[in-house]
Amino acid sequence: MRKADAENKDIFLLDKTKAMSHHIFILSPTDTPLYSLTHYSSKPVQSTGSSLSSNLPSWSTSAFAGTLTALSGASSATQHHTSGGGGVRVGGGQDRHVIQMIANASLDAIEEVMRRDSAMYLKSVDKFNEWIVSAFVTAGNKDMKFIILHETKNDDGIKVFFNDLWELYVKTAMNPFHTAHTPIRSAVFDSRVRASAKKNL
Amino acid sequence: MDHFAFASLAQIKILLVPVGSITKSFFEKRAAEIRSFDSIPLGDITVGDKDQRARLLPTTNTLATGYLHLSFPSHPPPESHLPLSLLRPSAFPLGVIGITSCSAETFEHTPTYFDGAVRDVISSEHVLPVSRVCFAFEEASDGAELNTSLLGVEVIPKMDTKQTKLHLGTLLASLCSRILIDLSDFVQNLESPIGNEYLNSGLFATLPPSQLPSALDPEQRSESPPSSHSQPELPTISNLRKSSTLKRTSSPGPTLPSLRQPTLSASASGKKRASGIGAASSHGRLFKVFGDSFLLAGRTEDAVVWYAEALAMFKGLPDPLWHASVLEGLATVPILEAWASGTGLDPWIDPAEKITQASSMYSKIIPGHDQDQQYPFLTYLYITCVLRHASLLYSVWSAKGWGPVAFTTLLNPGPTPHIPPTLIHPDQLSFVNLERLSINSGIKRSQISEVLSQAHGPWLLHLGSRERIAILQFIAATYGYLGYRRKEAYILRETIGCVMDLVVCGREHYDDYRLSSAKPVVIGQDALTPATGTLGVRESEPTEGNEGVVKLVKYVCKIHGVDLEAVNVVETGPEAIRPRHSWTRDEKLPEDDLPKEPIGWPELQIGIVREAIAVAEALPDYAAVAQFCLSALKNLHPVMTSTDQNQLYAGATRALTTTKRRGDSRTVEYWTGTPIVTIELTPLPFVRLPVEKSISLLQESDRSIGKTLAVTTDPFLYNPRRSLNSKGNLLVVQNENLEFQVTLRNPFVFDLELSSLSLSTSGVTFESKPIPVLVPANSFHPVLITGRALEAGNLVVRGCFVQAPNGLSREFGLPLSTEEEEDKLMKRKTAIACEYGRTKYSGLAAHPWERPTEKRASIIAPSSKKPAKPIRYMDFKVVPGLPLLRIRRTSLTHSAVMLYNGERSTIRITLENVSSLLIDYLNLTFDDSTMGPAQQALLEGELSVFDTYETEYDLIHRQVLTWDAENDKVEIPPGKMMTVTVSCFGKAGCTNGSIHISYAYSRQALGTDPPADNFYTRQLTYPVLVTVYHMLECYDMDILSHSGLNDRVGVGLPDASLEESEGYNWCLFSIEVRNTYGLPFEVTFERMDKGCAKSLPDSVVASTCRTVPPGSTSRIILPLRKLLLKEEHASRPIPSLSGRQFVVGKSKLSSEDVRLQRELFWYREELLKTIRGRWKEAGGSRSGDLSLRHQRLTKPMLHALRTDPIHVQMELLQQGDDEESRKIVNRRGGKFRAPPNEFLFLRIRIRNVSPADFISTASVFFEPEKHVIYQGILQGIPLGEVQNGETRELEMAICFVSCGSFELRAQVEILNAPRGEPAGSGHATVLVEDE
Repeated sequence: MRKADAENKDIFLLDKTKAMSHHIFILSPTDTPLYSLTHYSSKPVQSTGSSLSSNLPSWSTSAFAGTLTALSGASSATQHHTSGGGGVRVGGGQDRHVIQMIANASLDAIEEVMRRDSAMYLKSVDKFNEWIVSAFVTAGNKDMKFIILHETKNDDGIKVFFNDLWELYVKTAMNPFHTAHTPIRSAVFDSRVRASAKKNL
Repeated sequence: MDHFAFASLAQIKILLVPVGSITKSFFEKRAAEIRSFDSIPLGDITVGDKDQRARLLPTTNTLATGYLHLSFPSHPPPESHLPLSLLRPSAFPLGVIGITSCSAETFEHTPTYFDGAVRDVISSEHVLPVSRVCFAFEEASDGAELNTSLLGVEVIPKMDTKQTKLHLGTLLASLCSRILIDLSDFVQNLESPIGNEYLNSGLFATLPPSQLPSALDPEQRSESPPSSHSQPELPTISNLRKSSTLKRTSSPGPTLPSLRQPTLSASASGKKRASGIGAASSHGRLFKVFGDSFLLAGRTEDAVVWYAEALAMFKGLPDPLWHASVLEGLATVPILEAWASGTGLDPWIDPAEKITQASSMYSKIIPGHDQDQQYPFLTYLYITCVLRHASLLYSVWSAKGWGPVAFTTLLNPGPTPHIPPTLIHPDQLSFVNLERLSINSGIKRSQISEVLSQAHGPWLLHLGSRERIAILQFIAATYGYLGYRRKEAYILRETIGCVMDLVVCGREHYDDYRLSSAKPVVIGQDALTPATGTLGVRESEPTEGNEGVVKLVKYVCKIHGVDLEAVNVVETGPEAIRPRHSWTRDEKLPEDDLPKEPIGWPELQIGIVREAIAVAEALPDYAAVAQFCLSALKNLHPVMTSTDQNQLYAGATRALTTTKRRGDSRTVEYWTGTPIVTIELTPLPFVRLPVEKSISLLQESDRSIGKTLAVTTDPFLYNPRRSLNSKGNLLVVQNENLEFQVTLRNPFVFDLELSSLSLSTSGVTFESKPIPVLVPANSFHPVLITGRALEAGNLVVRGCFVQAPNGLSREFGLPLSTEEEEDKLMKRKTAIACEYGRTKYSGLAAHPWERPTEKRASIIAPSSKKPAKPIRYMDFKVVPGLPLLRIRRTSLTHSAVMLYNGERSTIRITLENVSSLLIDYLNLTFDDSTMGPAQQALLEGELSVFDTYETEYDLIHRQVLTWDAENDKVEIPPGKMMTVTVSCFGKAGCTNGSIHISYAYSRQALGTDPPADNFYTRQLTYPVLVTVYHMLECYDMDILSHSGLNDRVGVGLPDASLEESEGYNWCLFSIEVRNTYGLPFEVTFERMDKGCAKSLPDSVVASTCRTVPPGSTSRIILPLRKLLLKEEHASRPIPSLSGRQFVVGKSKLSSEDVRLQRELFWYREELLKTIRGRWKEAGGSRSGDLSLRHQRLTKPMLHALRTDPIHVQMELLQQGDDEESRKIVNRRGGKFRAPPNEFLFLRIRIRNVSPADFISTASVFFEPEKHVIYQGILQGIPLGEVQNGETRELEMAICFVSCGSFELRAQVEILNAPRGEPAGSGHATVLVEDE
């Protein structure tokens, strides 16, 4: 994770455009993340935001306003348009928190679709702010959920990535000491997921 | 608040305002009555005349099929929305109804008040016409004297409900018709070129209210308004109408709206029109306004026509904002029609498409030059459009499809628009139910959610707080009812952020204001410096609303799996002590030990909890801060970093202190799980330990036997009660300190402070001080609590009271767990552990409070059938005060004794009573190292009967330590001393022993009434090291028959005197004594005789003394009288000394063997009574006994020892000088010397020496027989009955016909004797030789 952040900074330093990011989470049936990864692909983001989200006022400085700003997605929108300078700038931690909130909130939609459809790959199952949420629900009764937050549509790539991730997960889960609630800390798993993400996303 | 009802565009808004002094409830009640008229049929509206004014009114030609839709808000829209007046007329009130009561004291001034009220709610910049009326409700029917002619006041007399309703309906209808007239006037004004210019100015068409009328027709201001109730600030209506009347030539036709012809001059082409009027602007917006007006007037067909016109215009000249608005209006129309007709077709696809189109147009509008002002409106319009879409879908979905319910929801959502009738019950929010709605309606929840999520975005920041909160509230509620509770929580977080921002900013403003207003009071700048001392003023912050925010925060946290109410906040009233809480078993389950599945997203949880705490701090609600901090710690500490934990703990501590300082009566309950792991009584030292004894012991005289065989006193080998008795209550002593060790547990990373920890007891008074404790981080911490029981009786330790600083004290019970419970607990643990890693409930259903309880129930179920057992706690019996004794000194050095085997010595022990109580009972018992194994062997029961007897004898009669109580009455007064003497016996194999002294103040127990069954003693133990030297060894005991000895030895006897008395009654006892020690010992064996002199029972009649040098062996021989025991004596069973339970013998001995064994036993006992061995140190003073107990008696020895019952003596006689006289043949060396070939006489003398009488026969044997001639029979010579002591003689003639040695034997057999052995025999040896 830290490595990814470092890479991220490098990208910001090299070219001032924001790299497209993907946020990947593996959630246990009790909604606990077992693994998470933030992947920055080299492709630039084409800004498709609504014109309404431009020129946002910074209307209050209280901490609660900060929460609201972050949750409404304004902080990242500001970053889009002011390209890192000026405007409301909230720390990456706050953003990360928002991303997690969105991932968590998207579970509502995933659970609904999941119970109706038997498909494992639920593409673009939810949208929130600028994020599209795609999900993958593993077979069997354990219902592990893979969630990816992405900004542009890339159905095929994500599907391939999810299949890779599934395979990697199944291999990890074959460890007899691995339960549905064991966080995945395997370095091999991590590096393979990163490789697949680099290739497909 | 705004409701975002779908059909709001078609609703005429009429404000309800209270007028005069009326109560809130009165207003609410009346408002509800008015609000029940949510629609008025067009037929009820006064039919308009042909006047242009009345264009919007329903015409006579049209059948009154339409409806006017009304909504009655009680708050006007914010002034900031005024620029939207023309774009969205439906958002602004077109009428005002004042509500007052006739009985109000100031009823006469009602018109004035009403004017004032209207001025308050309708700003001066309000451009739309506002009709007004004031309803005065009569509360009492005697309102006749009231002045009912007040201007603009309609008095509604008190009637029954139905009539009132009818009356109200009529009044509302007339108000509506006035509104429509005013509206049509207003619209007419816009029709003018200048009006149209204003309409086309800017993005939103701001109509300057002051300029327009004055510029048009200033002199008309004085003209009386067309309606006395219309808004006086809007005189433009009449003016405009006047100026434009000329153009209008005809009345509106039945299908074509009236306005069209005059303005458009017959042609419908937009382009033409634009040029025709001569104004630069198109009429698109104007037509849109017309459309809106007709929509409001309930004439949907007209509205559709005008909207279509407007759309046509916008095609040429794009005006996306107005275009989108038209689409919204168009979308509303089908709903109205459907509602009016009640059709069940599916026309909602079309409106939905239109709205989608509209929202996308809204979102793409690029604002003009004054961006900052336009953004909020654009955003607001966009969002309301999206929400309109969402509410359409939501209404249809929740109404199970397109139908009357859906129309009603869309049109008149009522006060709670988010709760459709299908979802009122909370159970209906289950997944199945929601899915059923989806299937019925054909709308998926995700569809609705998708639309809703479009409303959410960064643009929310453009909005003002009021709108934002309303919008977020709507979104959250809709998500909530969709069952999307995580999304709801997300939005609620934003809502809370919004509200809290207002709270914080509002407070800052207020502070600024206060400071600035305070400044003038302060004289000079110096006064502000703190040096002069300032007074801290604490504002009493308003607390209303806090509860709501806190509730919201808790809800959000709960959705994320954090229970912020895990720790209760309680009111502390004056009664500080809360009633004792009785536990149920379940509380005992140590949750911490069970593996817990992680639930929820830890990072999010921590973030949310932090925010919750920040919210509570900002409110401020310190009790809630403490509650949140502690609940979070309790639940989340496994996933928290140590910094977080420390911060939360510090925060909670601070908050609690603040709560207390501020005098808040609330505080938190004790919060950590069960902090107490165990409570143990530190065992009392042995010397202080009380022992319960039966009172009968006090009367008992013989103590020694009972004690020595203590193990075997129980008559049963297996006694089921024994194990029960041993589990009795622990005994503690009144008024003596007890120490309880309490083990506390702290699972957190910080040091846990407990302000007080005390024992919770019941029963007798227990004196103990609560102590403060600091439990170190992450550890188990033992604490010692000391206390005293002040009375005798039962003491129950239930558990502990624990109190955290500034918190509430809580009792934690620690019941004793029975085996069954342990079992149950174990089962439960296993069951839970087994389920760990399996997932039955996922997502939100996995939260512990959501999970169905059957799972747990199934585990407990089997036991629940049984009646619940009372909970047992640690139980102590407090006994009355006891004295205390100590050993002052003893006569032993290093408490060691050295003895020779069999030696006796004494030990003197001096005891001192160190208590203030008298000791009147003293008993000594002993224990030594030989007792244990012996008792063990006895217990095992594997010993033979003989060995058992020996062991028991050893235990009872040969104890190492013994004490003879000098007198039964022992008294040691307080502070006094007493000496006891214990004798000590050297017993080989003993290595140590101990002296147990038990003592008590027994009069206490005896004195009670009724007399107690038990009394309590304490005991002292004095261990003694014993060394016993085993120096003399006896072995190889033998008993020889006297005659046999003669034979063997040949000549001479050691003691000739024996021969004299009764030669045949003697035998010889011999034994080998070996000295294995380094010193010579003098060994003496003595024969005690009681038979010789009956007066002297145990006199030594013979003794043999020998000195045995070291390493050598001596044989000691002692003559012994033969014995004969009576048959019944010798055949008694071997007795048991301990009175144990009779055990059926396992040995398979024949009765013969048993008889022999018993004989051997009894003869041996007799022998041991007769023979005594003693030793004496050669040249020393030490002496002792030699034990023969280890010697066995064998069968030959028994024969030698036992006297035959019949004594047979054989003599050989020869003819004397006389015929009759006989003389005994010469005897030498025990042999008769007889000549051969001579007739001799054999005399056999038979004497019965046994106590019984016999009938017997005799037999004679010669050896060698063939050289003997005899007369008579040899076998079975009858003797008849031989009485006790009687002697018979037999004589027979024999002749030896050869020289040599002859053996003559005679046997006497008892007739019918059980054994084949002869009862007596005699023999004689004859040496036949020539002279």
